[in-house]
Amino acid sequence: MKNTVLDYALKIRLPLTLFVIVVSFMLTFYISRAERDSIGYSPEQPIKFSHKLHAGTMSIDCQYCHTGVTKGRAALVPSVNICMNCHSIARKDRPEIIKLTRYYNEDEPIPWKRVHKVPEYAYFNHSVHVNKGIQCETCHGNVRDMDVIKQVKGFTMTACLDCHREPEKYVSYLTNIKKGPENCFACHR
Amino acid sequence: MKDINKEKNKTFWKSLRDYYDDPEVLELKACEFKNGVTDEFKPSEMSSISRRKFVALLTASAAFAVTACSDYRDKGEIIPYNKRPEGLLPGTANYYASTCSGCASACGILIKTREGRPIKVDGNPEHPINQGKICAKGQASILNLYDPDRISDPMILKRKSSWKQIDSEIISILKDASASGKEISIVTHPVYSPTLQKLFGDFQKKFPTTQIYSYLLYDNLNKVNAWEKCYGTRELPSIKFDEAKLILSLDSDFLVNEGNFIENMRKYSTNREFVNNTNYNRLYVVEGRMSATGMMADYRLRVRPDLQFDFVMGLINELLKRGVSDFTVDPLLTAQLNKFDLTSFAKRNNIEQGKINYLINDLINFKNKAIVVAGNSLPEKVHVLVNLLNEILNAKELYDFNSTFVDFYQNNMNDFTNLVDKINSGKVGVLIHFDTNPLYHFPADLHYKDALKKVGAVITMTEEENETSAESKYVLPVNNYLESWGDYYVRKGVYSLQQPVIAPIFNTRQKEAILLNWLGDPSKYTEDIYHKYLIENFRTFVYSRKNTPVAFEAFWYAALQTGFVTIDEEADKQNNFNNLSLTSIDYSPNNNNSYAVQLSESYFIGDGRFLNNGWLLELPHPVTKVTWDNYAMISPSTAKELNVSDGDFLEVTIEKRKLKIPAMIQPGCADKFISIELGYGRTVVGEAGKNVGFNAVDLMSKNYTVSPWIFDKAELVSAGGSYDLMSTQEHHSLDDKFLKDIERRRKIIREGTVLKFQHNPKFLHEEKEELVSITNPKEYTGLKWAMAIDLNKCTACSACVASCNVENNIPVVGKDQVAKGREMQWMRIDRYYSGTPDDPIVSNQPMLCQQCDNAPCENVCPVNATNHSPDGLNQMVYNRCVGTRYCLNNCPYKVRRFNFFNFRDHFADAYYENNLTALVNNPEVTVRSRGVMEKCTFCIQRIMEARQNAIKENRELKGSDVKTACQSACPADAIVFGDMNDPNSAVSKYRNHDLAYYVLEDLNIKPNVTYIAKLRNTHSEEIL
Repeated sequence: MKNTVLDYALKIRLPLTLFVIVVSFMLTFYISRAERDSIGYSPEQPIKFSHKLHAGTMSIDCQYCHTGVTKGRAALVPSVNICMNCHSIARKDRPEIIKLTRYYNEDEPIPWKRVHKVPEYAYFNHSVHVNKGIQCETCHGNVRDMDVIKQVKGFTMTACLDCHREPEKYVSYLTNIKKGPENCFACHR
Repeated sequence: MKDINKEKNKTFWKSLRDYYDDPEVLELKACEFKNGVTDEFKPSEMSSISRRKFVALLTASAAFAVTACSDYRDKGEIIPYNKRPEGLLPGTANYYASTCSGCASACGILIKTREGRPIKVDGNPEHPINQGKICAKGQASILNLYDPDRISDPMILKRKSSWKQIDSEIISILKDASASGKEISIVTHPVYSPTLQKLFGDFQKKFPTTQIYSYLLYDNLNKVNAWEKCYGTRELPSIKFDEAKLILSLDSDFLVNEGNFIENMRKYSTNREFVNNTNYNRLYVVEGRMSATGMMADYRLRVRPDLQFDFVMGLINELLKRGVSDFTVDPLLTAQLNKFDLTSFAKRNNIEQGKINYLINDLINFKNKAIVVAGNSLPEKVHVLVNLLNEILNAKELYDFNSTFVDFYQNNMNDFTNLVDKINSGKVGVLIHFDTNPLYHFPADLHYKDALKKVGAVITMTEEENETSAESKYVLPVNNYLESWGDYYVRKGVYSLQQPVIAPIFNTRQKEAILLNWLGDPSKYTEDIYHKYLIENFRTFVYSRKNTPVAFEAFWYAALQTGFVTIDEEADKQNNFNNLSLTSIDYSPNNNNSYAVQLSESYFIGDGRFLNNGWLLELPHPVTKVTWDNYAMISPSTAKELNVSDGDFLEVTIEKRKLKIPAMIQPGCADKFISIELGYGRTVVGEAGKNVGFNAVDLMSKNYTVSPWIFDKAELVSAGGSYDLMSTQEHHSLDDKFLKDIERRRKIIREGTVLKFQHNPKFLHEEKEELVSITNPKEYTGLKWAMAIDLNKCTACSACVASCNVENNIPVVGKDQVAKGREMQWMRIDRYYSGTPDDPIVSNQPMLCQQCDNAPCENVCPVNATNHSPDGLNQMVYNRCVGTRYCLNNCPYKVRRFNFFNFRDHFADAYYENNLTALVNNPEVTVRSRGVMEKCTFCIQRIMEARQNAIKENRELKGSDVKTACQSACPADAIVFGDMNDPNSAVSKYRNHDLAYYVLEDLNIKPNVTYIAKLRNTHSEEIL
């Protein structure tokens, strides 16, 4: 029997098309995983603040600026008056510090670009994690090496649950850590 | 109501329609939703783009948008403070002590603020009078602060103006008036603030022609005047309800709506505590309407308020006949007594003689520990006789003279008649309405509205447009009480402070500051002028009396932090009863056979000031469960006589004053009598209060016969036509065709009497059946949350519902949506009647999610959006919910609520969807959107906050760390919450008590809410 156009379309063209679609979807899905999770996201900030300089070279404790981290849900991006504790004297002549001082004097808040974010329907709480001894690096990566702050880990529900289920794997530096709660109300309400 | 004559013998019923087996109600019970609940959603009439197509288009366009957009990873900004205020940590709440200004009780409050905006008002636990509790009005008052209808700028002749302009114009008017000897009249509500009193004094010094007039729509002047006649002082003592063994209330709603009812409820409920106590009190209520206090009564006698005088005289007669007391009654009275015979009174008015006998015997047996309280609306002569009756019963020890009510000067109607005369003869130059609305509150025959036109300058200070401001030349917007400084001195020895917790949102000023500003140089106005004035007065009024070594500034800040200062004052003594008070009384018996009308105070909207507060309008009435309206409460047999049914219009005529108002048939009302709540039917009001209810002030007159609120010669006719009254009682009915056997078969309401309980404490659990479970039992070790509700204490005051609304961001849905059964309150208070429609016994039951261990809702959710947590909570996850509503259908308690719309943008064309009102939301609770199921979470946000604090302090979370919003609001402490696995916790004591039961226990779904069965303290072992 002679092969018709229809046979060609159904037996060769269609499976081939489907195969290409599936493969390209899977490839895109896996390759874009990091992209979709915002890994590597590092937007330009209104002031070129370097965590590497402050937290790394000068070894200033994270909590000196992020004061809320043991107290409540939000870690808090520091208010400008905390910057001015030092910068009312230190490096006053540098262009970025002049910018900072202008914000401070004009009583204008700094519109920092948000880098790390969990969705609004998840009520993440910094203090319950930090007060249990979990280090900032575990989620935020080694900020001490970053000139510009950047996201290095996923902030998805999977990421949360992985650690809640197997804390010994992710926070191995903590002995005696119990599993985190896995019930819905732990994060959603 | 077709078969009204059909004989039925139901023991428990929820409404009259239910009692008579109205087919509509039977159908409601069988179906989850009311008929027509999905009427608006007709697929054929909807847009031709189906949901599927729409989603496909949306996805495609979103995908395009995302790829086209270069910064699709943008996550917005984080904007920290520039200079963070000390003590303010974003994400953490701050609390400030202040004082509520909703009524004369001036309760101490604690205001929760987040990032500088108030989000919740609760009672101040340290306050000596209200002790951490406030009423529903106080709870919901926070919505008034964020009301979009507030006036934003001062106005002259309805045009926006500036304070500078207004100040200069008014000061010159004031100067002219005082120079030409014309009166400056200030019309205010009673002044509870010592500093404001001083300010009025200063104002009078600067402008000597100033006169102050004060009034309230619903006051206690009759009571105070009677007390003055009897004892020579106007300072009423408070009553020790916690020590009374027998309370007889004559038309007094002292538990839920009269006097400082928060305090009364707390004291009363200490003797209704069966779990830890063996002292029980007994409550008799004699009233015409069905009040919330009447629902609590052990014995309730139906007597019209205009007949209370005859009743009290009969009672005195009977008691004296029995030789109860060595108190010598004036012969003047004894001569009159024989006209009043209680037995024939009972016969005439259809009162069971048995109840009267019990009452008299109890009054004699509990002498020294029995007290009679009379309602504020009763005429002065009844109050005089009640004072005498308390003398006869020797109730002196139940008066608390250490905590008397400070008297506030109030003008009577004669003074206002004089004011109107003065205006008409041109003697008044300036009329200042000091945050009052007399045009709505004053009876029409005072002709105040016509008089206003003859005053050169009418100045009205108000938060929102009202009837009076619409007729005023100058309208000055004032601060909400959460933006104001102030002080209150309403109870001897307790001085309360009020502080602002947010800067004025609009271009408004505090009303006291406006006056103060006119006394000085107006160009030097600063926001803190009244603040400074207050501090100075505090120095003389409080600090100088305290005699403390603490420096003034430290003392002031400490007082501000606690919210009040106690001052040692000498206790008043009770003077001897003045028999002269009995001389001026008209002793003729009431032989009135026509209809009587009573106007009563509204439970939730006060004198109309809360009529634009959607939360309060939608709160079901404690008795009738009607929302968004007022009505004429009428007894079933009177309704039959007039041939009206629920919602039919009645025409009420008193002399020539008329009012057309729908009837609401209320079992338990006295016959030939209607009762109407005041405060509704305002004509100039914001969006939420528009077309709400009927204005019963139309029936009031400056010349009254019985009392300003009671009329004995009224005509009542059916006016034809009907009106939709929205009662929520039949909504969310439990699926039960056999309600008459409800107690035995379904175990929803379980009750007993004190005698039965003493005789057999385990009477509730005698027939224990073996229960089968269809699920595998799960062990809960560790902490497990549970609640217990003591039905003996619940008065249906609804503070819990209001508190829950505020805490959990519950939207207002509007009357049309309530009509479809779509109200969103997570908590409701069910009302059940038993007995006959004429004289029912009422049972109240707060109903909320029971957090069942074997929750039926969980099994049916196709997407696992509701499931169980290890600490025993039935979790509801909004972002998983797809809105199938299966869970609601399978919930035996009917406590789940579905968002048929985005209710914030649905109510009255998005009245509550604006940047201002959004500020009232609790940021710790999700604002739910359309298509999502929701329900009580046991305040999971509070549990999580307690857990956070426990981890911070490196300890285990305890059950006592958490208080739910309803629990912390309950003035009677009827709600207990905690860890049921801790044997020492209060909640496990309640759970294991003999009186504890679960609603619908036989379903064996293991609810975590326990109810304590109500015991009635009657003379019998049976309830009926």
